[in-house]
Amino acid sequence: MKLLDCPMNGPRNIDEFQSFGPLRQAPDADAAADAEWARHLFRADNRKGVVVEWWRHVPSNFFFLAQRDVVTNEIIRTYAPGSRP
Amino acid sequence: MPLRLLKYGLSRDYPVTGDIPATPELKPSYDVVIVGGGGHGLACAHYLSKYHGIASIAVLEKGYLAGGNTARNTTTIRSNYITQEGVAFYKEGVSLFETLSQELDFNVMFSQRGQLTLAHTEATLRAFHLRAEMGKHMGTRTEVIDAKEVEKLVPELNMDRGGALEILGGLWHADGGTARHDAVAWGFAAQASRRGAEIHQRTEVQGFEVGNGQVRAVVTNRGRVACGSVLIAAGGMNYDVAMMAGVELPIRCYPLQAMVTQPLKPWLHTLVSSVSLHTYLVQSSRGEIVIGGGSDPYQLYSTRSTLDMKEHLAEGAVHLFPFLQGVRLLRQWAGITDMTPDYSPIMGASPLANLWLDCGWGTWGFKATAVAGKRLAETIAKGRVPDLLKPFALERFEKFRLLNEMGATAASH
Amino acid sequence: MTRLGTPYGSRLDRTRPVRFTFEGKAYHGFAGDCIASALAASDQWILSRSFKYHRPRGIMTMAGSEANTLVQLPSEPNVPADLTPLQDGMMVTAQNVNGSLENDRDAVIDRFGRFLPVGFYYRTFMGPRQDSWLRFWEPMIRRKAGLGIVDVKAQHLSFDKAHLHCDLLVVGAGPAGLSAAISAAQAGAGVLLCDDNPEIGGSLTYRRCDPGILLSLAAEAAKLPNLRIMTGTVCNGWYEDNWLPLIRGNQLYRTRAREVILATGAIEQPAVFRNNDLPGIMTGGAVQRLIRHYAVQPGRRAVVLAANDDGYDAVLDLVEAGVELAAIVDPRPNASARGGEFRARGIEVLAGARIEEASGTRANKHVARVRAGSRWIDCDLVVASVGSVPAWQLSCHAGAKVGYDEARARMTLGMPEGAAVRLAGVVAGKSPLQSAMADGRRAAREALERLGHGDLPDVPNECKPEPAAWEQPLVGDAKGRDFVDFDEDLQVKDLRNAVKEGYRELELVKRFSTVGMGPSQGRHSALATARIVAEATGRGVGEVGVTTARPPAGPEKLGVLAGHHEPLERRTGLHARHLALGARMKPIGAWWRPYFYGPEDRSDRLVREEIAAVRNGVGMLDVSTLGKLEIRGPDAGSFLDRMYTMAHANQPVGRVRYCLMLNEMGTVIDDGVAYRLADDLFYVTATTGAVARVQADMLFWNAQWRLKVDVLNVTAAFSGINVTGPKAREVLQALDCDIDFSRDAFPYLHGREGMLAGVPVRVMRIGFTGEVSYELHCPSSYALALWDALFKAGKPHGLRPYGLEASRMLRLEKGHILIGQDTDALTTPDELGFGWAVSKRKPFFVGKRSIEMRTRLGETRRLVGLSFEGANNIPGESCLVLRGGNPVGQITSIGFSPTLGHPIALAYVHIDDAAPGSKVTVKCRSGELVQAPVVGHAFFDPQNVRQEM
Repeated sequence: MKLLDCPMNGPRNIDEFQSFGPLRQAPDADAAADAEWARHLFRADNRKGVVVEWWRHVPSNFFFLAQRDVVTNEIIRTYAPGSRP
Repeated sequence: MPLRLLKYGLSRDYPVTGDIPATPELKPSYDVVIVGGGGHGLACAHYLSKYHGIASIAVLEKGYLAGGNTARNTTTIRSNYITQEGVAFYKEGVSLFETLSQELDFNVMFSQRGQLTLAHTEATLRAFHLRAEMGKHMGTRTEVIDAKEVEKLVPELNMDRGGALEILGGLWHADGGTARHDAVAWGFAAQASRRGAEIHQRTEVQGFEVGNGQVRAVVTNRGRVACGSVLIAAGGMNYDVAMMAGVELPIRCYPLQAMVTQPLKPWLHTLVSSVSLHTYLVQSSRGEIVIGGGSDPYQLYSTRSTLDMKEHLAEGAVHLFPFLQGVRLLRQWAGITDMTPDYSPIMGASPLANLWLDCGWGTWGFKATAVAGKRLAETIAKGRVPDLLKPFALERFEKFRLLNEMGATAASH
Repeated sequence: MTRLGTPYGSRLDRTRPVRFTFEGKAYHGFAGDCIASALAASDQWILSRSFKYHRPRGIMTMAGSEANTLVQLPSEPNVPADLTPLQDGMMVTAQNVNGSLENDRDAVIDRFGRFLPVGFYYRTFMGPRQDSWLRFWEPMIRRKAGLGIVDVKAQHLSFDKAHLHCDLLVVGAGPAGLSAAISAAQAGAGVLLCDDNPEIGGSLTYRRCDPGILLSLAAEAAKLPNLRIMTGTVCNGWYEDNWLPLIRGNQLYRTRAREVILATGAIEQPAVFRNNDLPGIMTGGAVQRLIRHYAVQPGRRAVVLAANDDGYDAVLDLVEAGVELAAIVDPRPNASARGGEFRARGIEVLAGARIEEASGTRANKHVARVRAGSRWIDCDLVVASVGSVPAWQLSCHAGAKVGYDEARARMTLGMPEGAAVRLAGVVAGKSPLQSAMADGRRAAREALERLGHGDLPDVPNECKPEPAAWEQPLVGDAKGRDFVDFDEDLQVKDLRNAVKEGYRELELVKRFSTVGMGPSQGRHSALATARIVAEATGRGVGEVGVTTARPPAGPEKLGVLAGHHEPLERRTGLHARHLALGARMKPIGAWWRPYFYGPEDRSDRLVREEIAAVRNGVGMLDVSTLGKLEIRGPDAGSFLDRMYTMAHANQPVGRVRYCLMLNEMGTVIDDGVAYRLADDLFYVTATTGAVARVQADMLFWNAQWRLKVDVLNVTAAFSGINVTGPKAREVLQALDCDIDFSRDAFPYLHGREGMLAGVPVRVMRIGFTGEVSYELHCPSSYALALWDALFKAGKPHGLRPYGLEASRMLRLEKGHILIGQDTDALTTPDELGFGWAVSKRKPFFVGKRSIEMRTRLGETRRLVGLSFEGANNIPGESCLVLRGGNPVGQITSIGFSPTLGHPIALAYVHIDDAAPGSKVTVKCRSGELVQAPVVGHAFFDPQNVRQEM
């Protein structure tokens, strides 16, 4: 079982967590063209390398961000939203 | 004893058929470059060379032949989908498998012993009815059966009467089956290469030269090749490869794990899967029970396996067949699936005129090996997408014409 | 055969005889025996028949390295006889036998081997007809496939799971592992040492060595309270972050170790020559185990193939155990200096020779002689000591790469920099004994450093380089039967021919030939395979390597992995009342809910009566399973405005509003109601099955929005009872209460808090039934009191509890949708005709941008009501709606409305057919077509007058 270091609860088994996928910057809904909006909806960051993604610690409902290498599965760092990465 | 075996018995030296030629030198250009030497790419090479008179083909494979998801999937072949478009496509896929051994002169062991998907909830049963109605309408053998019929079909099942996971009924798909996955790829490879297609193993695509809305050349670790058309059929690497051509696909990659037990005398003769338990089982002709389930819960490009998934799959398998407790597990493995938002593939045109897509096969690609290869060969040869593939176009996402297959894929593949 | 005397038989308790049967014949052994040793002690050497050719097979390694020793127990197939302790009364049978083990009818296949070359099945069995494979050939092959038989009526066994944590896990309690564990524990680390054998010591327990070494290590270990030793425990995999499954019996220990040392030793390899599989041919380690562990004399007259010092050690052991030595065959050109020592003892040493062939007794039941060069030597035991490979499995799980030291002809393991585990001893290529022990201490020091132990003494490097191994020729016998993979009956030529067919990569050789795919997963075949493929393809052995090693390291029972598993089940606080009223309970998701009250055989009538009670009098429904959330904080209103499609910021306190939730794609994913209890507090309901996800989604969005709001899931904290029907108000007014239930004081879509019959309640005037409805929510500890009070007060009014079946029809009569049943992954509010529920004024809510876009792109379908009044054929749920013969939608809900007296349905139809009065065609399950008119959403009381009375 992989460990994930929750900024709130410390290192816990990863089955206590739920992935919410890569961090996405939503375009301005009013300004975005349809194609741009569709891209926002359906295209997630899937590059090989380090992604920044949302995680939820299920028992505590705490959401945070993690930098993870999706090739090696190494978790580089985790941090609370709003704090400086 | 079949006559063909006499050839072996009566020859002094082993008579070599030569299924897979050694990787030749790369030529400076090909009419068609296929990125990915898995089942799909090899099938496309076969149909291009046999039915469209195109022999100048290079199939580029980063690793060894068919070593990606073709080698790692659990070999389910079925057409019991939800949408009209999906059923029509996969139905053709099943029918091609019915004659594939003859087509390839290579026994792919298509074993059409039927697939039983179990419903433990009324909601699942309702979804099964929709698949059955669509299946019947489209002329496939798909029907909902009740608990008694389920028990008659697979008497070893734990029906869990009165329990939280009582089996209420099932979706019986008599057209469903399995095939020897490797043999499918090897058969296509042998046929295609006999007609002049070249298979380049250990040849990694590192980029594309793009200009004027076209791919001009493919850059590999063994040199550059100019190309007439390019097909991307790279399985778990589809997103990555397409990005090299500047094409961003709506794909996220997740590992899919499966496992297999030691060989047992065959007792399970159909595919059995459970939607609620996210588990499916099939017993191969070697006697091994192959057990699989849903994808991993987060994005990853690694084929590592996890104990948690193994425990989860074992729970499901032992719940359905409690006597499997004493059966020993032999291997666990994983593949990388390229999942789309609507659990349906992306086939056909890309934003580049001569770049064609055979992507987004997620956990359900093996069954489409022949039909995708055949229809994409037609697409490449004629330069236009046949009606059967049109619903699977990349542009469906922008137009919100998603395929409503979310319910037909989980845990059945 | 009699046993050797003590001290032989270290595992045996000779005071405890054990009786068992094999193939129906009675045998006895001793406690401590394994199945194979007890049979060997009784001169029963054949244990099984091989997978393909049905050749007799027996003990080869005594280490579980091959499938030859797999036997059948009544409720357990594929039991390794050389590892499984004998138990009293065991009924053991042989596997893969047609007829009897001694006279297997399928042994004839062996003679036709040349007609069945590698991969033959890909080239035939395709005719004469297209379906011949399915109808004829495959059933024939399936009859021959597999090894053991699974007992589908096997008793349910008890399996369990536990967790272990340690500073350092050492896997393997041989000389290196013991040294490492002792050394680390002496420095103060919490050490867990596991070994799959019943005792510690590993090779020290059966190899020829000074017994004092093990005694002193054991004494050291016993002194250390922080060293926990688990014998009989298999470490079967390495997973990320040092997560390892340890299996002892029926127990799985999921173990987290801060540091790991793998001291898994080596796997002895078989010699490859013609008929190398005959019973009586075994490795040096096998005979030493038989002699030392089990006091079994492995034969009477032996030929030893000694390609290394271990082989000569085995000779000494055999001589001491009373075995006559026919000859030592030492293939090395200048046979070991030790050769002279043995010649002096009168033992013939054939230097520079090798065993090229063996031949057997009648039907190959035992080895009878071997040929070295042109010499045939009679014997009943052949011992091959030709080297070993590191036990690579766990190391490879942890990232080690297999290599090959060409100069010394040894397979090597290289652990990458920064790896999470350390290797020690023979697995790391450190032998002999003293080197292995020193290497264990070195690995312990490295682990301790990583654990933060300072001031560690230097460990002198006492490891000597390993001597070069003898590289046995793999020429391939012209007549074959020189087995490389015993599990799969593969010979040298089979692998060569696979390469010739173009399967040049090791993985392809494996897949085409099945080498390494059997129960032993390449343990005894990997090196020979790599060498054959390397030679045939002109590559180095290291470059060819081994196929990817994945967990499990060895076979493991599914029961161990599954453990004791119970599905999640939930009951409402009113469960006991439902049972007392005779309710038929069924599971919906995790919850058990009443379907109707009364016996199953009267269900139709009961449901009709329950519906009639609600329409004409009053009913009550346990709605405790509803998801319940409290949204609390100064931004609660604006938060709901963003989450739901309607306006909530401006919702007055004391009012209830419908809520519709979309995902970002604009698909309807949930609905419920929001009751504003205070400026900063909403009580929100969500679909039973969705509430956990709804709460998570809300918190996810707010992690991005950072509004001042908390989202609490209070589903279990509150229970709910819906009192509904024309007489609902009378029932409530009959109870002692501080809420004014009169129509004017408490109108539709209002909410009130108060005390009802001594129960604190939140009451909402909403309802799924279309009748006057009060939904009463109370703290769950009051649920029974509230139910009982309502039940009592309702009695004079004919109040009747109703179940889910009635509830579903009541809502269908009103055309109310069920999320997940009447909606799918793409349903928009437009498609539901829910324009009224979507605020046009709000600048933002989740899904807004997408539904605007989807509206612009054009609707294709709509959910409408269909009436089947007077229809001859009644479709079922999910029947297709056709237009021009093509499916355009389907029935999502259907049922016979007792109130209206005919069947009604909700269905998706083509947008052009959505207007009331249009007729659509539905295809029944029978295939017959039926026409049905589209009606408005509400079938009953379309003006919605009754619910507001």
